[in-house]
Amino acid sequence: MSTGAIITIIVMSAIFVAGFSFCFARLGKGGKWED
Amino acid sequence: MATEQRERWGGRMYFLFAAMGSAIGLGNIWRFPYMSYKYGGGAFLVAWMVGLIVLGLPWLMMEFGMGRYFQKGAPGVFAGIGRKWEWIGWWPVLFAFMIVTYYAVIIVWSLRYVISAVSMAWGIGEAGAQQAGAYFMGTVLRISEGPHVLGSPVWLLLILLAVLWVALFFVMYKGAKVIGKIAVWTVTIPWALLVILTIRGLSLPGAAQGLNYYLTPDFSQLKNVEVWFGAFSQIAFTLSLGMAGMFAYGSFIAKKADVNNNAVITGFSNCATSFFAGFAVFSTVGFIMQSLSIPVDEVSASGLSLAFVTFPVAISMMPGANALIGVLFFICVFFLGIDSAFFLAYGGVVAPLRDKFGWSRKKATLIVCIVSFLVGILFTFQGGLYWLDIFDRVACFYGLLLTGAISAIVVGWVFGAKKLREYMNSTSDFSFGPWWDWMLKIVVPAGLLFVVIYGGFVQDITTPYGGYPAIYTWIIYISLVVTLILSFVLQAAKTSSGKSAVKK
Repeated sequence: MSTGAIITIIVMSAIFVAGFSFCFARLGKGGKWED
Repeated sequence: MATEQRERWGGRMYFLFAAMGSAIGLGNIWRFPYMSYKYGGGAFLVAWMVGLIVLGLPWLMMEFGMGRYFQKGAPGVFAGIGRKWEWIGWWPVLFAFMIVTYYAVIIVWSLRYVISAVSMAWGIGEAGAQQAGAYFMGTVLRISEGPHVLGSPVWLLLILLAVLWVALFFVMYKGAKVIGKIAVWTVTIPWALLVILTIRGLSLPGAAQGLNYYLTPDFSQLKNVEVWFGAFSQIAFTLSLGMAGMFAYGSFIAKKADVNNNAVITGFSNCATSFFAGFAVFSTVGFIMQSLSIPVDEVSASGLSLAFVTFPVAISMMPGANALIGVLFFICVFFLGIDSAFFLAYGGVVAPLRDKFGWSRKKATLIVCIVSFLVGILFTFQGGLYWLDIFDRVACFYGLLLTGAISAIVVGWVFGAKKLREYMNSTSDFSFGPWWDWMLKIVVPAGLLFVVIYGGFVQDITTPYGGYPAIYTWIIYISLVVTLILSFVLQAAKTSSGKSAVKK
């Protein structure tokens, strides 16, 4: 596989891991789910 | 009904799975990977992520947020902003209805192929690879020579369509709680199957070559307006927005629950699934290139032909377990489609009808299922594929983009982007700053209008859509006008209480 393709995989994986980590770390910090 | 308690998701997890299931659909497999290959691999991903942040997420948050604010589906939301705007909510309802009538037929094709794959009906080895196209067009669809020749119905497809709508009815009439619980499975199963298909794809000879086409960045492409068109259009189509359903899904969220985090998780999950699906698709494309000694341009890597021709070709050429992989792939396609069908039919059509006319859930669901089935019969005819393509252009291209742009303008400028953002921020897990207002007021409508003008009107006027005679392009535009008129008719229709305005 080309170096560019490998770098793309690493960068995109990092973006998704960082994004999901942030979202799940904040889970439940806001309002209530029940009325 | 005004006094009835708004139905609710069984819990946050169920809402998230239902929203993810509606966003994650067949386009994640048959559109995104091809767009990445076509528009510069890794460089396309840059434009795509920008599109997600400046267009996709603000639009998704708007639909969730407005649905939650007014506790209504799309027409109720816009009627809540002002009586004269209600038609903006009905227009996407009509498109959602149009989409689900043919989307159900595509799901039926996947069921048909599950049956076919058990016996590898299109053949094994090179013979199977060469027959895969003819099998789809000739045996499965019995395709006619053009949209002007409708032919007769393909009875097996029609029977499967009836079975599918009966199954959809029995899930949908129980409401959002049950849809959410089922979505947990119908999202998780295709994820698991995608993992299996990716592992299988990566183990095939030629896989790395295919992935190079998918991922190797060509940053010079970022100067090309086509790449930005491709990225913004992909984001516009992938999140199931502009189809009314997300307003209704948002309306089933409790009044003090999070919006922002749910929207970001939904958007990111959808994009991560697209990115991952590309490995399954392009490892398979690479395998076909090597097995048949053909260049990448000759492998159909997008659209219906990817799912129903290219994958069967690859499955035929695999060294073993052909039938098993075939069955798993088409079950995966089935599950990817089924959540979107729930979303379109229930969130997009049933919920707005109930809001307006006060019908019971069972009655509204029954009417929608029966009418959708009857209209969907058109697409089981021999000429159905052509009409599916034409209706897709009406609803899933023009309809989605135009209603999205108009919705963003009215919410952003009339209701107030700042008011909506502060409302969502007040109960969400994290907040968005004032920049978000400008995304909704300017970037979302401008981005959607850019895609619809550049990729739609400009192209279809100069070159008739799909290579069909020009009359079919006119049918597309006439359909848009007819649905617009119907939206005003529905706006004017009396509610169940005899009043013409929807109560907030």
